[in-house]
Amino acid sequence: MDIFEFEGKTTEEAIENACRQLNLKKDDVDIEIIEPGSAGIFGLVGGRKAKIKVSTTKEVNEIPDQINGLAVAKEALENILALIPVEGITVQAEQIDGTIALNIEGDTSGLLIGRKGRTLDALQFIVNKIVNKTLEKRVQVVVDSENYRERRRDSLIEMALGMGDRAKKTRKPVATNILNPHDRRIVHLTLRDDKELDTRSRGEGILKKVLIIPKR
Amino acid sequence: MKDLIAYIAKALVDKPEEVAVTEIEGEQTSVLELKVAKEDLGKVIGKQGRTARAMRTILSAASTKIKKRSVLEIIE
Repeated sequence: MDIFEFEGKTTEEAIENACRQLNLKKDDVDIEIIEPGSAGIFGLVGGRKAKIKVSTTKEVNEIPDQINGLAVAKEALENILALIPVEGITVQAEQIDGTIALNIEGDTSGLLIGRKGRTLDALQFIVNKIVNKTLEKRVQVVVDSENYRERRRDSLIEMALGMGDRAKKTRKPVATNILNPHDRRIVHLTLRDDKELDTRSRGEGILKKVLIIPKR
Repeated sequence: MKDLIAYIAKALVDKPEEVAVTEIEGEQTSVLELKVAKEDLGKVIGKQGRTARAMRTILSAASTKIKKRSVLEIIE
């Protein structure tokens, strides 16, 4: 008998994922819930995925979705880079849980990063679209080059802390520049544990500012 | 340049055979016209034009490399 583990936002979704990937009906499998999963507050803090254990006595024809996703993502990025064209670069691909991490090695000009990482974000967005069109299951693709994501993260944390100090000192709200959802999340999380500050997103569309507000 | 946009567009749409890109070359600026099947128009534009913007960003990076300017137009 084979045993598999699956995840999903809810228990039902985890079961659905399991049936789809194993190519079996719900009645053919025994399901054991490891973790029921919770949405968390605003889907931001403390959200946990539902985890289930599935065992079956039937013959399993597993669809190797994950391996496939990795290959699709790598190929798509390599094809785009070859058409730009950039030479002398390699793409390293690895899968960590549900996230595919693609790392571009060899671009020292910063051409592929762009101002404030805009080109990198665009590449990431397009590769995400291509991968999730090909696959049934949603995966997240992160594209990085020259360690940009980590550097950006560090500078955002530093900026958030600096602005937090200023908000406390002046007792007035401070606003960041317009940021994408990922960058905003870093600002919110950095200041989450500061009891003297509140953070809120302001604006419309994908790009918003983060307001850092001193609590009275 | 033309192949780059054609590749991305074909990977995003449901009817890749109807993707056509024409390049109108100018001295400094070239205009790329992207045509897709009517049902696929939303796929190359995206929510709030996000996909179109991402394609333009990649295109401008590619243009910088050859020291030219390129404009992407999506034709209905």
